[in-house]
This record gives sequence, C-alpha cells and structure tokens, in this order.
Amino acid sequence: MIIKINGIPCECEKGEFILQIARRNGIDIPTLCHHDAFAGQGSCRLCIVELVAGGRSRIVVSCVYPVDRECEIFTENERVRRQRGMILRLLEARAPESTEIRALCDKYGAPRFERFVRVDGEKCVMCGLCVKACAELSVGAISTVNRGVTKEIATPYHEPSSVCIGCGSCAHVCPTGAIEMSETRDSRRIWGKTFRLVRCSRCGAVIGTEEELAMAAERAGQEQDGLCNTCRQERIAEVFAQSYGV
Amino acid sequence: MKTIRVCCDTGCLASGSMKVAEEFERLSAGSGVRVECHVKRTGCNGFCEKGPLVTILPDDISYYQVKPSDVPEILEKTIGKGEAVERLLYRNDKGERVLRQQDNPFYAPQLKIALRNVGRIDPENVDDYLEEGGYQALKKALGMTPGEILDEMDVSGLRGRGGAGFPTGRKWRTAAGYDVFPKYVVCNGDEGDPGAFMDRSILEGDPHSVIEGMAICALAIGAEEGFLYIRDEYSLAVENFRAAIRVAEERGFIGDSVMGSGKKLHLSVVRGGGAFVCGESTALMQSIEGKVGEPRAKYIRSVQRGLWDHPTVLNNVETFANVPYIIMHGAAGYAAIGTEGSKGTKVFTLVGKVRRTGLVEVPMGVTLRQLIYDIGGGVQNGRPFKAVQTGGPSGGCIPESMMDLPVDFDTLKEYGAMMGSGGMIVMDDRSCMVEVARYYVDFLCGESCGKCTPCREGLKQMLAILEDICHGRGTMEDLDLLESLGETMKDSSLCALGQSAPNPVLTTLKYFRNEYEAHILEHRCPAGVCKELTSFYVDPDKCRGCSACVRACPVGAASGEPRSPHKIDPDKCISCGSCREACRFDAVLTKGKAVRKMKAGAGENSSGNGARDAAPGDGGFERGTAAVSNERGTAAGNENSTESGNGIGKAGFDAAMAEGRDGK
Amino acid sequence: MPVSKEDIDGILKHYPREQRYSLAIMQDLQRRYNYIPREGMEALSEYLGCPLSNLYSMATFYKALSLKPKGRHIIKLCDGTACHIRGAVPLLDGLRRLLEIGEGETTEDGLFSLELVNCLGSCALAPAMVVDEAYYGNMTLEKLPGILEQYRKEASGS
Repeated sequence: MIIKINGIPCECEKGEFILQIARRNGIDIPTLCHHDAFAGQGSCRLCIVELVAGGRSRIVVSCVYPVDRECEIFTENERVRRQRGMILRLLEARAPESTEIRALCDKYGAPRFERFVRVDGEKCVMCGLCVKACAELSVGAISTVNRGVTKEIATPYHEPSSVCIGCGSCAHVCPTGAIEMSETRDSRRIWGKTFRLVRCSRCGAVIGTEEELAMAAERAGQEQDGLCNTCRQERIAEVFAQSYGV
Repeated sequence: MKTIRVCCDTGCLASGSMKVAEEFERLSAGSGVRVECHVKRTGCNGFCEKGPLVTILPDDISYYQVKPSDVPEILEKTIGKGEAVERLLYRNDKGERVLRQQDNPFYAPQLKIALRNVGRIDPENVDDYLEEGGYQALKKALGMTPGEILDEMDVSGLRGRGGAGFPTGRKWRTAAGYDVFPKYVVCNGDEGDPGAFMDRSILEGDPHSVIEGMAICALAIGAEEGFLYIRDEYSLAVENFRAAIRVAEERGFIGDSVMGSGKKLHLSVVRGGGAFVCGESTALMQSIEGKVGEPRAKYIRSVQRGLWDHPTVLNNVETFANVPYIIMHGAAGYAAIGTEGSKGTKVFTLVGKVRRTGLVEVPMGVTLRQLIYDIGGGVQNGRPFKAVQTGGPSGGCIPESMMDLPVDFDTLKEYGAMMGSGGMIVMDDRSCMVEVARYYVDFLCGESCGKCTPCREGLKQMLAILEDICHGRGTMEDLDLLESLGETMKDSSLCALGQSAPNPVLTTLKYFRNEYEAHILEHRCPAGVCKELTSFYVDPDKCRGCSACVRACPVGAASGEPRSPHKIDPDKCISCGSCREACRFDAVLTKGKAVRKMKAGAGENSSGNGARDAAPGDGGFERGTAAVSNERGTAAGNENSTESGNGIGKAGFDAAMAEGRDGK
Repeated sequence: MPVSKEDIDGILKHYPREQRYSLAIMQDLQRRYNYIPREGMEALSEYLGCPLSNLYSMATFYKALSLKPKGRHIIKLCDGTACHIRGAVPLLDGLRRLLEIGEGETTEDGLFSLELVNCLGSCALAPAMVVDEAYYGNMTLEKLPGILEQYRKEASGS
C-alpha cells in the first residue's frame, strides 16, 4: 500500500503506525514518550500529524495511529506546527528544567507564551515510560500516583520501595533525565534507596546491583558467573581456544 | 381498592418521604386500603423539587410536599370519601389547583418511554414490572434471529444516550460481526455530569428494564456475560440493581437459561471508583478490569477489542431502557417520534435557577424554550434568563438568542455546545459566565486522568488564566490564548474528556464575551459573583428593614434597626452574597470593588483577602505583567501558602493594569 | 475500628484472586474502616500477587478510596453545577469557618471530615449536603450551625 507523507509516496503495510513509516522514509517527527521497546504510550502527543482521508482531515497521533487505507499525511503544515508548538510550550511550562524540551522548542520554533504557570525545578513530563519499563521488567516499583493535574510518578507511599532492584531502567528510558540516579564507586542511589554495586570479577566494570543480579539469577535458575558481557564472551573464546586449539 | 403511591427516590427521601410512607402504612393497617408505599426510589415522578409526592389511584390525584401530618386527612378525605385535599394539589401558573398529573404544566408536554415505569412501579417488586409488560420484549426477541433484532434497532434510529449519539444498531451489528468469543455487554451507569441524574432515576426506579435491554443486546451480539458499572455514590441504585439481578436470575429471566431458551446470560454490578473519566468507554473498561481508569491511546474500537480485548458493546442506562420498548412496540413507531436525525425521546434534568426543577422526558426536537419555559415555568423568582448549560463539562452555555433551537444530537453541536447526557442547568443574571467556565475547568483539572499533555497541562493553564480573570488580573490577550489552548486540546487530546474540555470556555467566550471584558477592562463582575470584584450595599429606598439580610449574613456585616434601612459594613463583608439571596425586595445591590492605584507597599486596601495580605515594600508591584504576577504566585508555594503570593501579584497587577489603561 | 489481620483476610476471601476484583476489594476495605489501612493494601498486594505500586496507583486515582483515616461523620457538600450556582461556595466557606478545617481534612476531635464532592444528583434540592447517609436539601448558611450541633450533641451524649 502507498500513502503520501508531505507529498512523498511511502510504501507501507496495512496496520503499520504512521511514525514507523515516516521514520523509515527519513521523515522527522518529534517524540518524547515513544520508545521502540515500550511502544503505544501515546501520552505526550508531540508526534501529532494531520491525516487527510476520504475528504476528511483530522489531527492524529502518529505513534499509535495504524494506517488502514490510502491517505495523505502532513507532518509540517501550519496546523500541525501551531498545535505542536502549543504542546511543546505546555511541556516546557511543566518541565522548565528540561534542556531536551527547550531544545525541541527551539528546533520546532514554538511560539513563546510568557503567561504560562511554570512548575519550578521540574523535569518530568509525565510520559509514563519509566512506569512501563519497570512493569515490563516485572518489578513494579513505581507507578502513577493521583490523577488530573496533580498526577505524578512515585513509589508507594512515597517511601523507598521494597521491590525496587535499583536497575536504573526507569532512568535510562526517561526522555528528559528526570529520574535522579547517582553512583559512587560501590553504590547507586535511586528512588531514595541505596544499592550496592557488583563489579565484574575480571575487568571491574559495573555489572549491576546485588538485587538486580539476584533477580536475574533467580529467573535464569542458575548462579551468575560474576562477569560482564564482554569478559564472559572473552572467557568463552578462551575456553574454545584451549579445547580446540583455534 | 385504592392504591397510594409514595415516591421514595433519593430526592424525595431527602424531603422525608419515608416517614410519609410509614405513616400511610401505620394508619391504613386494617382499614382495607391497599397501601402501595413500596413505590420507592423512583425518579420521584420527576418533580423532585415538590416532593414528597403522593399519588392516589385510580382517582389519579397527585399531592405535593406531603408531610406525615397530612396523612390522616388524605386517608379520611381522599381514600374514604374520594375528595381531594385542596391545599396539597399543585397550583398551576393561573393559580388554579389541578388534580391530575397530566394537568400539571410540568407533566403535560412529557412523553415517557425510557421512564415509562419510573415512578409507577415498585422497583423491588418484579411482579410490578411484569404487570407493565416486563420481559415480554425479551420473550419476543428470543423468537427473533439476531439479524432481525439488529434490523429493528437500525430502523428505530436509536442513538446512544450517553452524549456521543452513536447509532446503537450499527454498534451492535459491528460487535455481532466478530467471531471472537466471549463477547461482553456493558452498561455505563457512571453518570458523572454535574447536574444530571436521569440514569440514577432509571437504575433506582426501573432496574429490570435495563436488565431486559442488556439481555436483548446480548442475544443480538452473542454475549453471555455483562457488567453494569454504577457510580459508587449511587448506593440505592447499586442496591436495587443487585437485588433486581438476583430476582431476574431466580425467576429465570436471565442466568443459565434465558427464559428457558438454553442461552446463558450472567450480569454483575461493578461499583465505580469515583472518577468522571470512567464515563469514557475505554477508561470504564480498564476500571472493570481492576486497573486505573485511563483511556486507551490506541485507535481501536472497543466493539472490536474492548473488555479483556474482546468484542464489547457499551451503552448507557437510558439507551438500554429504550430497547425493550422498541422491540415490544415496533421500531417504526419509535422512529416516528423525534426528528430526522434523532429519533425517540430524551430524558433531561431541568435544574439550576428554574422554577420547576426535576426530571423530564420529551420527544427529541423540542426547543429549549419549550423545555425551560413551558415545562420548567421559566426562571426562578422572575429573574432574567441568562443561559442554559447543556452537556455538562463537555457541553456549553447557550444564550437567550438560541432558545428556539431544537434539542437533538446534531443542532446544539453546530453551536459549540452539545445535548450531552441531558443535564440542563438554567442560569439567571446572578450567574457569572466567567466563573461558570472556571468552575468546569476546575472540575476537569481534578477529573482528567492526567495521562496526555494537552488535557492535563492545558487545563492547568486554562484554570490559572480563568482564575486571574475572576480576580481582575486578566488581560485581553488572555482571551486569545484561551482560544488557542482550546484548539489544541480539542484536536490533540487523547480522549473525549480532553477533546471536549474547552467547550465551556469556548462557548462562554463566544456568547458572553462582554462578561469577560467587564472582568478584564472594568474589574467588575456583572453578576456579582466573583468576590474579589464585588462589594454589596443596600439601596435605602428599596430596603424595608425586614432584617432577612442580618439573619443570613454569616459574619455579622449586615445590620440595622427593624423597619429602617439596613447597612452592610464593607470591612466585615466577605462578599458571599447570602444577603442578596435572602432579600425579597431586591434591595441588596452590587458594585465593583474600588481598584485603587496601588504603588508598592500600599497594601492597606481592606476590600479583598489578597490585598489585605499583601506585604509592604514588594518591588514586584511595578513589573505587573501577567506572566510575572503569575509566576510569582506559583513560586510562593503550593495551596495555602500561595495566598499572600497571589495577593501581591493581584494587587500589583491591578495597579499596573489600571495605570496602563489610564495611560492609553 | 481497630485494624486486624483476620478482619482484612475475611474481606479478601470474599473474592477470587483476580485483578478484576482489586477495586471492589479496596472499596470493601474502605467501607469497613472509612479508609484503606496500609496493612490492607499490603495484604491485598500479596493476595492478588500484584505489585503494591499498582494498588497504590488505584487508591490515589479513585476518589471513592482514601488512604487517610477519616472522621466519625463525613460531611459531603455537593458542588455539582446546580448546587454551585445556587450557593455551594458560600456554604463551603461557612463550613470551613465553623469546623476550622479545609476540604479533605478532619477536625482535631475526629468528629467531622469535610469533603467537597461532585454532583450527588439531588439537583432539585440544590444546594445539597450529605452527612454520612442523611441528605440536607435547600441548604443555607443559617441552617449549618444547627445541623453540626446535632451531631456534636449526639457524640457528647454517647
């Protein structure tokens, strides 16, 4: 099937998401809450595009909109630009500390609204990726709390979580660096809890927190070897070399 | 044998109808009178305002505002001798007492289909329902093929009564087309629009009609399980419904073999958790699954993948209540009622500043004027009409000039409002349209699920702007910004809540722009509602010295000798308006509060909380742009601690505005 | 009401161990204690085998649920649109003054909790107020002190 994005014909399968198709064809659409591993959030609304099909035109969210028939899509017209600019400035007011948002505002020429109330010191844009990542790892240490304009991400009772393993996945997927994670040589601190770091027994690189490795061991059903991925591969190569004289 | 119906719905119960019912039972015991005071928890026949309501059959005499002390007289005169108790009859607009409900102007224009049994039957007694032809439609449907049922629904033209107005037949047909099992039928009883209570009345007053409607739907689409999601606050409805399901299963109307057909249908009640957003279908389904009620971001219809990703038909209470009638009496007859695009009747709640308040059912297409003036009797206390708010937080405020528009799914939408689920809130000249917009936005700030940016952040900014305008801190540019925010929220929000959230703001901006301008340019609230801009005073020529204001004032600001003009002490007055409401001579008037040209440190103005708290010597006064005052307010901290921060910003901004304008 | 493990387990056992019952169970806990005690949340997390964070998310999302203990009498002042335009706000101010607490708070003596709630569907009697299960329609500031006094007397009498 062929659809047109900004006038460019793009080949696609029925059911593919607009964002996927656009990116494959080198067409830029900004996103915050989209992550290939945890798709389908649709919460930041930054990736809006205008869809024209069957004589009707409307704004859709490209990360979750599956193409089901021939249509024309515009990612940079006046309407998209105006609304995306508004969304960006709303995000900026929400998270004034985020350099990522500021850069996006500049890149997409969002008009300034001095009027907006700003949340001092905030970086989080409530995209929900961290919660999704934590849940996908079957940890479930954090969740959204409250609703409406007071919604936030937190651990239960805003206390250090008993189930958090300190893996830092939440911080890694965060598009605005809003989750504080600090490390010393031996420890990592995240969500108000301190974890001991385990290092590779050969090269000394960090391979995770104690809790993280214990969970991995439990899931794999065997003891971990205490090596980082690089060293593990090297050791396998060595074993091969010794056994077969390669 | 005479029957006494005592209305015992939530509204009438609040007016003490249970005591009246008990008194009837007690005094009539052994008197040979059949007392049907188990006609409980109905929609109060709709006229809740005049409850407790008592109807005597077969004489068809309706009494209003009955007290337990009236009971002996009713028994003696009406039951005993067939005479009416004059003083308990309704007095119509001409001042005549009317005997029958049909002669009451509140009831005369009504046509009851969805409410056909509400107020007539005892909801706890299924035999009452059977006497009215209950479960006959289900029996008839069992003799039809699913295709025939779907055809009937199509012909009837029934559209979803929850507000969106999607054709019910088409929805059912789509769900029926999927060969994925199990399928589910869900009834949305999470009535959340403030000012709407039609679904509650049906759930409380006629639960079996909803069960029957759901059962017919289940037959048509091939579902064997169904859920009723009912607002947690509606405890009577939950109770009545659970009991009704139990009875329907015991009697074999539903359960393991629906009326002996061998087809299964099990229904259960799910209590809502208290979230307006759960009125949105995908959020409601999340809630039934035991999750946080956030709407689904994906563009997949729930008829295809709904509850637990299975085909699901979700309709609202009123929609299901219409179904048995359509099947029983034929779709063609139903389709003859209403307008071209909106068939049948619609239930409305007529509330607010209207003379006759209550629940009404009329054919689609009646005009707002007929509803508000003919049925509702116009505005309370003879005050001027200002607007009617329809469709709750998703709807809009409609001005006098549009009163002759027909009410149906499509017309009001063209004007930026919507019929919605049927709440109609009448507003008079003492309702501030800016404050009403602020009220809805504030409501939605707390009720948005908070998932998507335009809704969550857009509402927050809208609220801040509207609060500023209500406090006299707004600018004309703010109005443009509200419109831009509205456009983005409409187009880009994730679900219907966010997409329709700007409607109350946009319609008031469109039809009552002058009120916004008065707040901004003149620092005046024309309705005398916005406290910061309103002060109250007594017109000595009108005041009769009755002291009603003195009794009503909660802070002792009103005073005066009996029979001589009273006074309101501006230093004590908190601008709550209680005196104005209490005054029967329109002697309490409002004027704007003097906006003084304040320089930094001139925080001596005693007329407003904010100004009183203003700290002297704050340099921020001079800057006085909207953004500055705003940021200052937030920076000062959250909730209570913002009081003084806002106050400074306000005073400073007022001053700057006043100066700026003078300068031009 | 004191929180006991047996009591909580008794509530849990009414329901199968499935996620779909989480909201219903929390509502039952709420009904029993007027709030959901932490012990209840933790027991439920274990019972359903779902993370505490999910339940915490729900408990803070749904307004019918509360994680904070409430007063003996819960005053719900309706702020539906009909009540709002017929004077719910001055009533709220009045209650704040008389009880010396804000909405969502409980008086020091634990007698009253004050809540501002969405439409109760009693618009015909606007403005409306509900104390526990008792409805008070056509409310005015004048009526407030008497109503509160009635509950205070009851409490001191018992």
